[in-house]
Formats: sequence, structure tokens, C-alpha cells
Amino acid sequence: MRILAIETSCDETGVAIVEDGRRIRANLVASQLVHQDTGGIVPEVAAREHLRALDAMTEQALRDAGRQLSEIDAVAATVGPGLIGCLLVGANYARGLALSAGLPFVGVNHLEGHVYANWLYEVEGGEPPSNPPEEPEIPAIVLVVSGAHSDLVLMEGHRRFRPLGRTIDDAAGEAFDKVARLLHLGFPGGPVIERIAREGDPNAFPLPRAALADRFDFSFSGLKTAVLRLVRELEKKGSVPVADVAASFQKAITEMLAEKTARAAAEHAVETVLLGGGVAANLALRGEIARRIGHPLRVPPPRLCTDNGAMIGAAAFFALRHRGTEIPVAVRSDLKLA
Amino acid sequence: MLLALDTSTDWASVALFDGRDVLAEETWRAQRRHGDELFPAIERVLLSTRTALSAVTRVAVAVGPGSFTGLRVAIAAGQGIARGSGAALVGISTLDVLAYPHAPSKQRTCPLVPAGRDQYYAAFYQERNRKWQRRSPFMVATLDEICRQIGTHTLFVGEIDAGAEATLRDLLGPKALFASPASRVRRAGYLAELGWRELESRKQVKISEIEPIYVRPPSIRVSFDQPFGPPPSDERSLGLPKRS
Ligand SMILES: [Zn+2]
Repeated sequence: MRILAIETSCDETGVAIVEDGRRIRANLVASQLVHQDTGGIVPEVAAREHLRALDAMTEQALRDAGRQLSEIDAVAATVGPGLIGCLLVGANYARGLALSAGLPFVGVNHLEGHVYANWLYEVEGGEPPSNPPEEPEIPAIVLVVSGAHSDLVLMEGHRRFRPLGRTIDDAAGEAFDKVARLLHLGFPGGPVIERIAREGDPNAFPLPRAALADRFDFSFSGLKTAVLRLVRELEKKGSVPVADVAASFQKAITEMLAEKTARAAAEHAVETVLLGGGVAANLALRGEIARRIGHPLRVPPPRLCTDNGAMIGAAAFFALRHRGTEIPVAVRSDLKLA
Repeated sequence: MLLALDTSTDWASVALFDGRDVLAEETWRAQRRHGDELFPAIERVLLSTRTALSAVTRVAVAVGPGSFTGLRVAIAAGQGIARGSGAALVGISTLDVLAYPHAPSKQRTCPLVPAGRDQYYAAFYQERNRKWQRRSPFMVATLDEICRQIGTHTLFVGEIDAGAEATLRDLLGPKALFASPASRVRRAGYLAELGWRELESRKQVKISEIEPIYVRPPSIRVSFDQPFGPPPSDERSLGLPKRS
């Protein structure tokens, strides 16, 4: 089954063609550089950019895959969670396309997309590899961390998700962005903090870890405030050792994420731990989780960790294959994992 | 067959037109539910006329000015339909659609579409040399500012609530004329007529060139603290950004 999939929940426009939920035949992502100047995402600007880019990208994705629309079996789009004005662009385009091409429309939960990014692999030179990577084993604990989400999910089976915890304030990626801004490192913060942290001493400054009563939820605002206070103090003293602050912050946040992820895996007696979202590209985070669970992690390549259409195509395939599970159609900015 | 889609404001409308007659039309107050209600309405219109979507060779969408988020619903849907079926796509100004049914009145006509912050999108239309045309750029302004440009009797159409009507009467006295409530509602049948005519006379542009007429730049309000919190007020009201 070949699915054309569209992702417009935030500031990346993604269009992809995915076969059988795993093989990527095309995967175009347009990152909206317009937001770098404002240091954050402007929803109206993002929605305008999505509409401007979407149709040409769809045409290009078909061309990349060497396929006609008549060779597509279903059309999928993210229907939430996300910015409502952005979601509406992708979902309505996809529904129009599906209706007029006589294809089923599959609404996809964005978080499910991040989970199923772990099922994807790329096709080199048109031919599928003779030994495609194994599918991840289920059940699994999935940590989705990005500028928009910090969710810890138990995947009991295909399309059977149990949310275990989420952030009660900032998303992990936002914490990276805000600290990067504080240290005048630019936006987005994740990659630049990781790079600079390599030169720093992660034990230079002790920073607090939030302990929450609700055991699998996250909170990063205390950490963010502590970094702010630290930087102000250091500024008063004369100079801020940027690398040491970045390294100490990164150590604190990755330990918070890793500790809960590892504990969730232990408590639910789950071997497989999967990651998703832009922050999953952070090597310190991967290393810390692997150390705590005692075996290597499975993480999609960086371009599949960040928002993209292919992950939506993968999730749509498993939604169709596991019929009887509910497939959402309506766009909801606060769509929950079923 | 032409399918016309309009989600420019709180009001939405869908129509099917065969080049001579409007075969079906649905006009309703969608408020913020365009995203949920547009496709069911399209399907009802097709079903009630036993039309297959494959028979639709033309699509017309209202491109504003109007609610940014609302406009994009019909435009994205129209783009998708055009991509899926190869139908020709055309964009028609929402204000053109509002003014058009009043062309026979020969009155100078001013359609109004709420723009938030006590402002309206507006333009002036008039017949001159037997040609009905828009005679001003699209503007976004308060009623006071709009009325300052009015010297003659003017027919107001569009979304005019009791308060706006009173303000206009105050500002213009007997020069302010009002179309009857039903005739100032925006209906996709008129959009269909205009779209059909446009496609007869002009060749199809690229699908992605059909874009909203924004008039206003986006409000630069960074969604940094709560990217997935409640939608910003401009999205919530489907009007435009409130002054902060
Ligand atoms: Zn995401």
C-alpha cells in the first residue's frame, strides 16, 4: 500500500510517499526559516508558509517517487495536536485531494507519527534493501521530545497507546530554545547547545531536577529559572562560561528525561525503548537512556526525528491495517493519543 | 461543472453550478467550525444533485480579504481538489462576491467584512460605462475611516450587525443605504458565477498561486511559551487579531 502523507502541524511542511508503512519513496520537508528572526514560531506566518508550499511539494513528492496520483492508495494528514491554523491547511488540502482522487483520507495523530518514525527506512536507488531493518518489538516505551512535546507513552500494541506522562509546563525542546536564547546562541537551541556542551564541564554547576508527584510527568520551568538565575549571577561576576552552563543544563535535562524513561521501561517490564521528536537527535540524551536501560536504543535518523511527512504515512498505514481502531478525521489542536 | 467554496468569515457557503444554473447551494453560519463542516457540506451538495466529483472540472474559491484561518480552509481544500482531479482552480475576492448581486441596483456599493479590532475589510464598486467594477483597492479600516471616503449614496452589504448599521447611519445620515438582510448574505452561487466567467476568459494559473488576499501582514506574536496552547485569538474568533 502506497500512502501520500502530509504534515503541517507546526513550522515544517512535510509531504511524503511511503509504502507499507515502512519504505520511504519520497520525503520532502520545507523548514520555515522565517521564524529564526523572531526566535520562536509565529502561527500565522507558519500557516501562510504551509499553504504557499504544499501543492508544489506534493507535485514534487510524486515526481521523486516516480509515481502518478493514480498509483497512490490513500492520502493521510496530521489532524492534531498542533497549531490549529497550520493543521487546517494540510488536513483540508489532503481531504480535497483524497475526495477528488477517489481515495480514503486518513487523519493521523502527530504523536503517533513520531512513534511510527521508528518503523521507517529509506530506499536507496529505487530498490528496497534485501534485508530491511527489523520492525521494533512491541510493547515499547516511547519518549517523544521536541520543541512542542515531551510525552512518555507506553505502546502496548499497534495503535494501542497509553500516555504515561507529559510535560506540565515547557516542552523539552523549548527549554533548550530558551536556554540558548539566554546564552545568545540563536534558535533553534537543541543542536547548538549540544555542540557547545561538548566543550564544557557538565558538573560545573549543580542544577535542580524537578521531582513531580505525578510520577511520569515532566517539568522544566524550574530548571529554566535556575539557569536564568545562574546566568544573571555569573554576569554580575563578570563573565559567563557558556560551554559549562550549556553542559550543566544539558546534563540536568537529559537526566530528567532519561530517569523517567528508564523507570517506565522497568515498571512496565518493557525491553524496547523508542525515541522521537527533534530532541531525540541529542546524543547525550540517547547515551543517558541507553546507560540506564542497559542496552542500545532505537532512534530514527535525525531527519526522521524532526517533523516530516513520512512518519505520518507510516502511522496512517498501521491505522488502516489495524481496522476497528478509530481513525480521526476532524482537526483538533489538542488531539489526544487514544 | 463548477464547485464553489467560501469559508472567508463566520459564514460559509458551498455551491454547484453547471455554467447556466446553480444546481445546489448550502450557506450556513459555521463560526469556527469550517474545518469540520466544509467537507460534509461538499458531499451533501454533490449527493443531492447526484454529481460525482469527477464531473467537477472547475473549482472556485473565495480568497478574501477575510479571516486568515477561514480563507485557508477553502483555499487548501480547493487546491487539493484541483490537484486530485485536474480541475481548473480560480480565486475570486470575497468582496467581489458580496457586491456582485447588487450590480443591477446601479448603486455605489460597499461590501463590509469584519476584520476585528473594530475594523472592516471594504472596497467600493460602481457601474461606469456599463461596466460593473471594483473602483478602489481592498482596504482595512474602521467604519469612520471608510465613511470619510464616501460622498454619495452608498449601499452597504455584507456582515453588518446592528451596531455597525447604527454607526453608519450616524456617520452618513441618509446617504447610508442598506441591502435587505437576506440579500447581503454572501452566497457561493454568486462566487460560482464569477468563477465560471473568470475561467472562460482567462487561462488557469498554477494551483499554488491561488492564495488569500491578506491585506494585513501577520501579527508577529510568537507562540513560544505555549506552542500547543489555545489558538491565538485571531484563530479563535476567525476574525482577525485583537489589539493586544
Ligand atoms: Zn513533532
